[in-house]
Amino acid sequence: MEGSVLVIGGGIAGIQTSLDLTELGFKVYLVERSPSIGGRMSQLDKTFPTNDCSLCILAPKMVEVFRNPNIELMTYHEVKKVTGKTGNFQVTVLKKPRYIDETKCKGCGDCASKCPKIEVPNAFDMNLGKRKSVYIPFPQAVPPIYLIDPELCLKLTKGVCGVCEKVCQAEAIVYDQKPKEISINVGAIVVATGFDMPAEELSSRWGYKYKNVVSALEYERILCASGPFEGHVLRPSDESEPEKIAFIQCAGSRDLHENVPYCSSVCCMYTAKEAIITKEHSDNSNCFVFRHDIRAYGKNFYEFTQRAQDEYGVKYFQTKISKIEEDKETNDLIIHYEDLKSGKFNDFRANLVVLATPLVPSKGTIDLAEILDIELDHYDFFKENSYFNKSLSSSEGIFLCGFCQGPMDIPETVADASGVASQIAALLNSVKYTETKEKVLEIPEMEVKISDEPRIGVLVCHCGINIGKYVDVSEVVNYLKTLPYVIHSEANLYSCSSDSQARIKELIKEHNLNRFIVASCTPRTHEALFQETCQEAGLNKYLFEMVNIRDQCSWVHMGDNKAATEKAKDLIRMAVAKARLLKPLPEAKLDIIPTTLIIGGGVSGMTAALNIASQGFKAYIIEKENKLGGNLNNLNILYPIQEEASLFLNDIKDKVNNNKNIQIFFNSKIKNIKGYIGNYDVSIIDSENKTYDLKIGTIIVATGAQELKPDGIFLYDRKNRNIITQLDLEQKLKDKDKSWLDNINRITTILCVNARQKEGITYCSNVCCGVSIKNINILKELKPELEIIVLYRDFQMAKKDFEEYYRERRKDAVFLRYDLDNLPKINKTNDKIEKYNIKVFDTNLQDEIEFETDLIILSTPMIPADNLEELAKMLKVPLDKNGFFLEAHVKLRPLDFATDGIFLAGCAQWPKNIQDSISQANGAAGRASRFLSAKTITTSGLIAEVNPERCIGCGKCESVCPYNAIEIKEASMDFEDVSLVLKKSFINSALCKGCGTCAATCPNGAISVKHYDFDQIYAMIESYLLER
Amino acid sequence: MSKTKRKVKKKDFNPEILVFCCNWCSYAGADLAGVSRFQYPPNMRIVRVMCSGRVDPSFVLKALKEGADGVLITGCHIGDCHYISGNEYTRDRFQKLHQFIIKQLGINGKRVRLEWVSASEGKRFAELITEFTNQIKELGPFKVL
Repeated sequence: MEGSVLVIGGGIAGIQTSLDLTELGFKVYLVERSPSIGGRMSQLDKTFPTNDCSLCILAPKMVEVFRNPNIELMTYHEVKKVTGKTGNFQVTVLKKPRYIDETKCKGCGDCASKCPKIEVPNAFDMNLGKRKSVYIPFPQAVPPIYLIDPELCLKLTKGVCGVCEKVCQAEAIVYDQKPKEISINVGAIVVATGFDMPAEELSSRWGYKYKNVVSALEYERILCASGPFEGHVLRPSDESEPEKIAFIQCAGSRDLHENVPYCSSVCCMYTAKEAIITKEHSDNSNCFVFRHDIRAYGKNFYEFTQRAQDEYGVKYFQTKISKIEEDKETNDLIIHYEDLKSGKFNDFRANLVVLATPLVPSKGTIDLAEILDIELDHYDFFKENSYFNKSLSSSEGIFLCGFCQGPMDIPETVADASGVASQIAALLNSVKYTETKEKVLEIPEMEVKISDEPRIGVLVCHCGINIGKYVDVSEVVNYLKTLPYVIHSEANLYSCSSDSQARIKELIKEHNLNRFIVASCTPRTHEALFQETCQEAGLNKYLFEMVNIRDQCSWVHMGDNKAATEKAKDLIRMAVAKARLLKPLPEAKLDIIPTTLIIGGGVSGMTAALNIASQGFKAYIIEKENKLGGNLNNLNILYPIQEEASLFLNDIKDKVNNNKNIQIFFNSKIKNIKGYIGNYDVSIIDSENKTYDLKIGTIIVATGAQELKPDGIFLYDRKNRNIITQLDLEQKLKDKDKSWLDNINRITTILCVNARQKEGITYCSNVCCGVSIKNINILKELKPELEIIVLYRDFQMAKKDFEEYYRERRKDAVFLRYDLDNLPKINKTNDKIEKYNIKVFDTNLQDEIEFETDLIILSTPMIPADNLEELAKMLKVPLDKNGFFLEAHVKLRPLDFATDGIFLAGCAQWPKNIQDSISQANGAAGRASRFLSAKTITTSGLIAEVNPERCIGCGKCESVCPYNAIEIKEASMDFEDVSLVLKKSFINSALCKGCGTCAATCPNGAISVKHYDFDQIYAMIESYLLER
Repeated sequence: MSKTKRKVKKKDFNPEILVFCCNWCSYAGADLAGVSRFQYPPNMRIVRVMCSGRVDPSFVLKALKEGADGVLITGCHIGDCHYISGNEYTRDRFQKLHQFIIKQLGINGKRVRLEWVSASEGKRFAELITEFTNQIKELGPFKVL
């Protein structure tokens, strides 16, 4: 068995699964065929529904991958051959030539700036921007290494030019680089190859061939501040600002006449986002969305689409498009459409059209399936082995992650990625930590006392000519020598090269330095490298300081060398002033108790427990009922697999019951929780008032959700036998006795009951449409002559199989569409045998329809479980406005709470189906077990600290801390003659992230942040303004 | 220990501007301005903090006291904060600080500003610095009270 994993694809799915795998004890080979990781997410401008800047949240993760010693980053590589089986795969990877020596390239860009070749369209900007023949895909690319396009480069095609070789001071250009095959052995393989958006394959109906018709991904680049138009909303034909922008939904999908019959699941949301951002960018623009259904089924999604309309004035039309044509004179577009609300055919003139084109498996998927010998489904997505585990491919040891398995959004992908990592950890449990490396420092850390005189060394980087051409480096070096405590300063060509690291260590030793400064590029990418070098030389890493004289001097003041040089001097002098006051900071190691407490014994809780247990850790499940299974106990048949719920339930219950590493507490709840990550003391109380005290390392919240009982709505009062909820129906269908159906001839299902409203429950609860479609079919099988009528608003059948499932069952019922302004009206016409009359205005037919019905089924939303406030308070984690638990970050941390050590899975986070609950539960188990695997956590040195002498115990710091790292406790304070017990603030170093919000909030200046303390920042300010 | 400023004519005036950047968004925006070679006036100096929430009002007051002609605090857009909500406290605190600077100290409020810059807004960062620098030039040297 190999303790390493191959991850194919470096998008957010591959990035997340790689990072999690290393934390679980595995070495990762991350193979990406393009020159940079980041994938589709790096091309997005913002992310819904928070409009977070996509790159702001992704770039730190990309850098984390780059810096991770246990990830071998293989960009511009392709997997060519795979043999072997689970535990022992042999993989051949082809390294494509960059014509640049990766070990030498510093990413400075001198080659590209001098490259004379005419510019060509840039794939990263969806061919809207330009690049040279030697290029980097985008400025934040990881790794920051250039490459040469062999089809364009004059040297490679015609043997002339060669300018890049001449200007590259790092001597990194290698024109005769050849492809190379590399063999690796791994224990498991993750496929995370994502999606493409090939708009050019659309039929002529959508008008993509016209200049001002763009795909949504192209439009993301147009919106992006670092895109081809620098964030100005301009149309491609004449770069004028469009006034009327039409967004076309489902262009080329959800239609048997088009290529793609399924729903891509994210387009409704990104369209609302793009429309909102458009309005934010340009006041003059008007956005029109030509919609089909609005599929907005995630957390805060539906509300987001409503905000687009109510706050931003985006107009939505329910339409069917027949054709889009171009006005040749103006390059405007004429959209021919049928307005489904009025039934009229209209033309609409738009200046720019954005197509929500289908997302399809990425190019090369079929070849890769052949190489890996795994199956594809009929849409050419990779086929999951079982509905209950979408991470498993058809072949053991090969896992599927993210969009390559089927449409999903970013948080689903991230959860999936963590779930894949945890399942691999279970599979390769016996070999974890066999191939990872942990840094061993040969030189012990030297003692640096605060009273020691500072001895500062400074390295000033030329960065080839990137700094040196605009900043007079030798003048700077000489100036630094005049500053107090600067013992040594020197210039070098590339500070980041490995010979420079050796030089830094040499300098520290030779001059007995106790502080070190590098003035070069950005600390965001390079600080960790230099800190490591300092550590290797025996210097505490917090005694290092970095100055960015490239991005802040040479590159932004290119026309003014004098000013750039002066600024560099100032910035380094400020750093010297701070460095004098730097203190060595300890990083404590805290032990982790290798147990996890799982709150809730439903499918999510059981799945998480099984995963934790199979990794060899103890899992405790606490369940409020007297049985496992949660909501699954109430379900009859599961869609879309049409299998009895009890089959799966009994199977997983058996596994849990027979697992020695799992202990279950029934009829129990949490009485008290104390402690923090790795060290919780939890006491549990059962219905007989018996208490149990547990030592817990991490906690997973899997408390589920429940169906809303719509008392008082549509005559529902729990007494009318024939007005029932969808869950009541499930029970009736489960019962052996089906005689209740005998007198029923017509059934009416009403969807979105008390959901997606302006007030009250505003959200869409994701699963109800599917459940009702499933039950139509089951009812028809029980009694074929039944008439079924469905009153709906929008159908949320967004997963890859669901559209088809819905289409197959559509013939079994009559579907009438209503809207919020015209709710159906129900009257009881016969009390005894319960008959009802329903009046509904069907927006498709534009007519009121009246009919009799015998049974009414109400689809109501799922709502949070009862009494969550109490639990949330005990755990110190937040609930969202709908009462579900609120994750740390809706996009990239869907399973974490902001407080380290506590995680989230299943319907406790948001209503979801069993497949997604299982994926999340595995993910949460993975997130939680990272700490258990590592056995210890290392606290950062960069944390807040309280001066108890100054602390007045007001508690302001506690109230602003986003991580619950501060607690006001009583402490005994000694004064001259007396001791008093006073309230003081205490900071938990295991939880503090060092943001410093507490420090700036403290009214008495009692809190400071290490490494950014008051004196250090005051010293920088004084140095800038007073020491010139 | 305040510095007395030389009297300078407006057109020769080279203001001293202190800019606080948060590590995750606005500092990254400044980096992108650099990588993209967006040029801006060379008058400002950046102090990096992990979160705009770290920017204590005393940092701003200290800078003004020591003779800074302008102070700019930058952070992640609301909702983007790497530390969840640090910038919200910055915003609330800044309102009070700004009022204090204007009303109690009688300093022109235009000299001190709070702005949000994302990691992909390199252009905006350069434009912001240009515009702020020009505004401070327009206001002339700040005379320490």
